[in-house]
Amino acid sequence: MTTNDPCQRYLEDPEANADHLQSCAKCRAEAAALAAKSEVEAPSIDLDALPLAPWEGSSHRPWPLVLGGTAMVVIVALVLLDAAGMSPMHVAEGSLASMDAIRGLLNRAALSLRGASIGMQLAFGAAFLIVNALLVVLLRRAPRGSDA
Amino acid sequence: MRRALRLFLPLTVVAASLVTAIMAAPPSLGIRGPLSFGDATEMMQKTAVIAALLAVWMLAAVSLTLLSGREIRYSSVEMRASALHCFALGLVAVTSFALTAIVFSYLIPYHIGVPLLFALGVFAILTKIYGTVAVFHAVGTLAAGSRTREQLARRHWLRGDLAMVVVGVVILGAIRLIPIVGPIIWALASVFGIGTALATKFGRREPWFLAYRLNLS
Repeated sequence: MTTNDPCQRYLEDPEANADHLQSCAKCRAEAAALAAKSEVEAPSIDLDALPLAPWEGSSHRPWPLVLGGTAMVVIVALVLLDAAGMSPMHVAEGSLASMDAIRGLLNRAALSLRGASIGMQLAFGAAFLIVNALLVVLLRRAPRGSDA
Repeated sequence: MRRALRLFLPLTVVAASLVTAIMAAPPSLGIRGPLSFGDATEMMQKTAVIAALLAVWMLAAVSLTLLSGREIRYSSVEMRASALHCFALGLVAVTSFALTAIVFSYLIPYHIGVPLLFALGVFAILTKIYGTVAVFHAVGTLAAGSRTREQLARRHWLRGDLAMVVVGVVILGAIRLIPIVGPIIWALASVFGIGTALATKFGRREPWFLAYRLNLS
């Protein structure tokens, strides 16, 4: 529906009838009042007052500290290994031996389970299901920490 | 610096008390320090092995932080935001790994057990490595992290993910060298780490399971 009243036409479509403001003092005054009301100043934010976000400064790479710290730990390890009459290979072999020990422990546990009574096997199966169900329940919770 | 001193001083007191208690303990308890040359050699070798493993941890931590610093930081933030959940999840996950490994070992005669056990082992090791590096970051941030922007702007070295990880490795490594208490704290840190790694899906902010919703429209 259209109207012949220029004021009404201006109110319906201010951009298309912008010329009307020059001929109508009433509409000009209303437009000025609306413009004055809409000039809302953004509140000033003191960025320094906000808490430090975890990501701030996180990409900084202090190479002297990193290389110095790493070199210090490696040198201390090599000196101690030398003093103890060992080589890094000994440490690697020891780690592999501990893996073998874990594998032996698992094999013994599996053998015990195979030789156990039906009741014990069922109890173990129930414990397995309960623990994994609890794990799934805990994994469904959304993380809380934010690093926006 | 004052914060670091506040942390190191009690730790030094605890370490000194422990060493004194171990040296003064009756021999029947079996926790005394080295009594013979053989004992001293064994203790030296243990310390050397721990230091060598710490060096490996340092290299792994720096490499992993360089590769995915943002994920490590997110996991570290999560650990500090909900520590109890991460610890509970870690305990349940370790128990689940152990029970699942026994079940897979049970299945070895049926051939399917070997690949399953291998996959579980790889997953568990990756989880532990990632989680422990996240713990290093969290410990480093708690001990030496900046609290204000002025503090951050003044610092040249002690800022950034890499620095926090290095500080965390040094602190936890020093604690690891304390007899009796060190391995316990290290094990607790591993539990925290595994829980954090799983809680944040290795810092990727994705859900582990898709939500199933009925389409009612």
